Parts: sequence; C-alpha cells; structure tokens
Amino acid sequence: MPPRECEICHTNRAQILRPKNHARICAPCFIAIFEDEVAETVTSTNLFNPGERVAIGASGGKDSTVLASVLKTLNDRHNWGLDLVLLSIDEGITGYRDHSLEAVKRHSEQYDLPLKIVSYADLYGWSMDQVVAQVGKKGNCTYCGVFRRQALDRGAAMLGVGHVVTGHNADDVAETVLMNLLRGDLPRLSRATSIVTSTPSAALPENGEGEIKFTNVKRSKPLIYAYEKEIVMYAHHKKLDYFSTECIYSPEAFRGSARTLIKNLERIRPESILDVVRSGIDMAKLVPGAEEQNSQRACGGENKAAAAKTDEGDGLGGCGSSKESGGEMAAMEQKLLQDEEAQANGNEVEIKMPKKTVNSQNGVARDTQDAADAEIDVKNGQQQSPAQQTVPIRTKEEKKSRKRGKDAPPPKQKLGQCERCGYLSSQSVCKACVLLEGLNKARPRTGIEVGGGD
Amino acid sequence: MAGRRNLPPADKSLCRRCQSPDTAITVRTEPLCKACFDKYVQTKVVKRMETFRVKNSEPGKEKTLLLPLSFGPCSTALLYTLSRHLKNQIDKSGRPGFKLHVLHIEQPDEPPAQPLLDQLQSRFPEHTYAAVPLASITSLPHLLPSTLQPPSSLASLLSTLPTPTARADLSAHLLRKLIAHHARETHSAAILLGDSTTRLAERALAETAKGRGFAVPWLVSDGPISSAPTPSEAGDGQGEIPTYHPLRDLLSKELVPFVAFAEPPLTPFLRTASESQAAPAAMKNSTIDALTRGYFAGVEEEYPSIVANVVRTTSKLQAREVGAGELGCELCDVPLEGAAPERSRLCWGCVRTMQGVGAAS
Repeated sequence: MPPRECEICHTNRAQILRPKNHARICAPCFIAIFEDEVAETVTSTNLFNPGERVAIGASGGKDSTVLASVLKTLNDRHNWGLDLVLLSIDEGITGYRDHSLEAVKRHSEQYDLPLKIVSYADLYGWSMDQVVAQVGKKGNCTYCGVFRRQALDRGAAMLGVGHVVTGHNADDVAETVLMNLLRGDLPRLSRATSIVTSTPSAALPENGEGEIKFTNVKRSKPLIYAYEKEIVMYAHHKKLDYFSTECIYSPEAFRGSARTLIKNLERIRPESILDVVRSGIDMAKLVPGAEEQNSQRACGGENKAAAAKTDEGDGLGGCGSSKESGGEMAAMEQKLLQDEEAQANGNEVEIKMPKKTVNSQNGVARDTQDAADAEIDVKNGQQQSPAQQTVPIRTKEEKKSRKRGKDAPPPKQKLGQCERCGYLSSQSVCKACVLLEGLNKARPRTGIEVGGGD
Repeated sequence: MAGRRNLPPADKSLCRRCQSPDTAITVRTEPLCKACFDKYVQTKVVKRMETFRVKNSEPGKEKTLLLPLSFGPCSTALLYTLSRHLKNQIDKSGRPGFKLHVLHIEQPDEPPAQPLLDQLQSRFPEHTYAAVPLASITSLPHLLPSTLQPPSSLASLLSTLPTPTARADLSAHLLRKLIAHHARETHSAAILLGDSTTRLAERALAETAKGRGFAVPWLVSDGPISSAPTPSEAGDGQGEIPTYHPLRDLLSKELVPFVAFAEPPLTPFLRTASESQAAPAAMKNSTIDALTRGYFAGVEEEYPSIVANVVRTTSKLQAREVGAGELGCELCDVPLEGAAPERSRLCWGCVRTMQGVGAAS
C-alpha cells in the first residue's frame, strides 16, 4: 500500500494522525493548522486587547514552550501588537528548577522576548529547598502551590503586566473537570473550564492610569483546546528545545485517578478529551450560583502541579503526602463517612440552644458538616424530645465561622484582602502568610554571626 | 439515648444492629447479619417510594409503574423489594399504593425471555409482564433520528456505526426510547429504573466523557422535572413520563449479595451479563461505558462514600430552564438549545455517536 498523502495539501506524505478528528496530515500542514487553531481560540474569545502587555508563564516545559513559540509566531503574523514577556518562577529546587530555567533563558534569546524570573527566596525569604529542610519532604507541595499562585501575580505586577497566560492544555482541563466531579467540588468545577479566570478586583476599574496591582492580574489559557499529544508533536516538528519539568511530583490521588481515566478515554475515543472539556463548560453553567461566582471569585489557581490549590487552600494531601497511598481519597472517604454518621446521629440529638457554649464532643463529629446539614439538624432537633435540651452545643454562627478555614469552601465566601500582604483572601490572613508565619517562627530572628569586629 | 448508633458495639464481629453473631456482610464499616442487611436494603428502597404511598392512590385505580427488568442483580433486586413493599402495603392498609408492570427489552443476541418471565410470573403473580425485542424499534420510525431513516434492521443500523462506544451509546438510547414508548402505551405513571448509586455515578461520568455534561442533571435526578425536554415522540400529548431510581441509595456491591441472600433464591432469574459485557482485551475496542463501569467498580470497593458523593454532587446541578417549544435532540431527547451545532437536530454527544453514519450510508 502506498503511503497515504496528506489530507490537506495532497502532496506530502501524511505523518500525523490528529486525535481530535482522525485527519492524516503532513508535518507542515499540522504546524499551520495547530497555529491557526490557537489563533482561532484567541480571536473568538477576544482574549487580548491590541497592544496589551502579556506575560507568558514559562516553566521551560513543553506546554509553556509551545505557548511562547506559538504566541510569538502569531503575534508577528497577525500584527496583534502584543508586548510579550516571559515570566518564570524560581521555586529554588536545586537539580530541577535550575535546569529548566536554563531552557527558559535560551527561549528568551531565541524568541527575542524579555525574561523575568521571580524567586520564592526574593518574595518570601524562603526557597523550596529551605522549606523542605524545615518541614521535611511531606507536605511541602502545599507550600509550593500556595506560594506559586501569588508569585505569578506578583511577578506580573512587577513587570507592569495585567495578563498572564499559562500553558494549560485540553488534557489538563479535562483532568480537572473529572477530578472535581470525583471530589464533588462544584465551585471548582465551574471555574476549571473558563478560558479566562480573572481575580475579582480585575473587574474593578483599574486604579489611576491603569496601574497594575498584583491583585488584579488576569489569567488565561490559550491552549485550552489543544491536545497534549499535539503539543508534543508541535514541539517535536518545530524542533523546540524544552525541558521535561516533571517535578519530583506525585499527583494527588484524585488527579492521578482522573489522569488515568483521561488517558484511557483517549485510547477508546480520542475526541472524548474535548468532549469532557465541553461537558465541563456546560456543567459549569448548571452549578447553582455559577454566574455570580465566575465573575466575582478569585480563580485561576490551576498551576499545573499546584492545580486546585488556590489560596483558599485545601489542606488535603499535598503532592508529597499522598505519595505513600491513595491518602487523599482515603481521607475524603473518612470525612464523608463521618458526615453521614454525624447526620444520622444529629437527627436524634437536640442541638439548638440559646446558650453559646461549645460542646467539644459533638463538635468533633460535626466539624465536617456543611451549614445546610447543620440547619437540618437544628430543624429535626427542635421536633425532638425537650429532655435533650441540656446538651450544650456550639451554635450555628460559630460553626459557620469555624468552617471557613476548612476545605470544601462553603457556597459563598466573602473575598477580602489579606491584612498582612494585601493578597485576595476570604480570611483575614491569606494562606501564604499563615504558612510563612509557621516557617518564620522556627527561624532565628537574626542570623548567627561569627567574628566581625565590634 | 436509645438507638444511638455511635455506641461502641459489645463485640466488633457481631451484627451492629441486633448483636447476632452470624454476620453476613459489612455495609459501610458496619457488620450486619442477613436479616438486618435485608431490612437495610428494603428500608432504603421504600424511602424512595414515598410518592407512591397508599394514601396517595385512589382505591381500585392505582397507578401503573413500569419496571424495566434486565435480569441483572439490580433490577431483579428492585422487583423483589417492590413486591414485598406492595405486600406490606396490602397487609397494613388493605390495598396497594401502585401496580407494577414488568417490561423486559430483549437484546439482539440473547435467548428468548418468555420462559424466564413465566417463571417470574409464578413467583410474583401480582404483576403484569411483557417482553419486547429491541429490534422492534425499527417498526417505530418516529422514535428514530431522521439521519437513520429509513430504518432497516437493528443490526444494520448498528453496523453503520464505526466504534463500539458509538454502538453501545446508540443501543442504550434506543432502549431508553423503547421503554418510554412502552410506558406511554401502557399509560404508566412513572418508570422505575433499577440504577444503583454506582450505576448512576458511572452514567454521570460516562455522559460527561461523551460530551453530554449538560444532560447529567436530567439523568441522575428523580421524579418529574419542571424543565424536562419534550420528547421527540410528539403528538400523543402525554409529555414526559417521570423516572425514579429507587435503588439510588444502594451500591452495586450491596445489591449483588442482597439478591443472593433472598429466600427462596432469586438466582434462577438472574442472567449473568458478564458474557456480553466482558471487557475486551484492547482498550481501543472497549467502550466509554465499560471504562467508567470498571472504574467505579474499583472505587466502590475501597471508597463507597466517594461513589455516593459523585451522585449527590451531580444531583445538585440545576437543569436549565427549557423554552416553550424548544426542540429536543432526536436521539437522546435533551433540549438542543446551546447543546448542539447550528441547525442540527442532534446534540453534540449524539453528533459524536452518529459520526460516520452519513459517510457509511
């Protein structure tokens, strides 16, 4: 059988089978169509304003490398007039980030784009190596994720850039959709699929003459409809030099589970990755209160490894802690079981009390319940025997306020600013500042100096 | 307080409810004996049947509820528990709250169902029974999408589809349409599906993967939905028949032993689905439904609450309001607005399923 010819140009030999539509095409046609499709995504969503300064979140990995290359190409080709810069975060992980940053430095030269590297050490006074030395290998990913989210925003503000693009691809987004379905996290489900995820104050008028503050940086994912496979193929055929930046990172159990599902779905029906993305977009509209949320809430924390770990942080197993087992899923199973138990028992106990005392015994079982359940309990409780009225219980108000800090954010959060650093947070002090406080407590206030003439 | 369940049991190996030493199964960390397990399942089903209580029915004019039976453990368990429920209703108040009509849809490759239905009828003579071959859908062309016209045989219809996933998807929708059609024919007030929690979670995930995320709320919720789409089978003025899932609080792994424990045994009525549903060796030849089935089979073993949580979460999604006169998808009957390419009579998910049909015909 003679080699198949390209379905587009009908001259070259077909080298590539596109997963999204089974088209067999040649490499030059593939590169052209890949770029056209990204351009289509950008123009159909009005992603950029003419002349806008845009920072490309660059890790040196395949996704951000392809994103930088494609945006540079398209910007020149279509005269979008974008002022592109590369923005890298240096977590300070020796043997991993230092190598990938070398790749980013080469890209900066190759594509003639200025590069800004923001390091954790500069921003927080702690590199990840130091954090690991302090807290150990378990749970350090929580720090990394929380820090990274702010770092991109702060780095962008330093550059005077109001818009950061990240290399999230269709596979990543599909994975996040399934993961949030599995964890039952509707607010995140509704945020995962939006191509632009701006922080709430981005909707506010820019202060002064468009001065950029780190609290109003817009995030977007121009590669949201691009298959991971095609990104790899694009990088290969364009001979892009990238660094494989897989951290010594073990995925969270839910993400790992979702990733396996996505890979298997792709094998069964390659189109299904985009179908999951589409489903996610459609389901986001069905989440109660979705529209309000999408316009008001801080979002876009999905930063690869740090994916769902926004500033509101879920304490559940960071990448490090889930290494041993499916820790995260087991933890959630446990929590759900306790919820059920608390609900079953709660119906038998009187909990509505005028007194504002805390009953630690019941508090434990009920900690995890959400406010709605608490209300049911109260209702049922009222109908029950008055004999139980002697049991002192935490009241609803107290319960609600305690809940804030827990995972699974309540349906509505008030977003304010961290009183220490001014970053967006639903609590008085943001997660990063809380983590930093813990770290700094253990660090001597002044370094030990040797010698030095006095 | 009596009945507090968090009292530590005298012995962890005893039945958590009656302290009998003969425990038969562990249900969500609680060891239970056969009798208590039986009561557990029965209670969960009865709780979901509140709409059809005796006081809601008119004496002598009980509503007919359609129970599609596949001879699998779940639908068989539903038939069994509802039969007992009806008996209890009669014992307590002298009359039933509803009538059951059992319908089996014969798959193309399965042996005739009549002998099994006859046996069931002698065991549960109070219900009516019917068997309809899936292939009969071709004689009801108004149920089929216009792209599949004119319908020939079911086999040739399915063979026009290139992938196992598409074939399974089309069959499932034809099955659903045929059940709904039969429900209308028999003037049934509702359809009672034997979907367990596990099954609902599987379907929610599978439909998401097939691009029908927007339809998930209709799929997993119970009862009449105000914004339900108009069925494509227009003209008989009946509108949509509400669907209920009385087994929605039970896991598949609980229903399999439940059926096995029944006395006298229900096992003669079970058909092992494993032969036709066995996963093929190569992932490529598998189906999306089989993938999610396998996935949740694994999850429900270790993390049953997570399965239940998926169903609970997806049930919280709010189905979109449907405009008056809005068209439904010709295959899956969900409203098309925003869910389909322009001028298409099929939604995105069904466009995907029917991909290649035009090319083949």
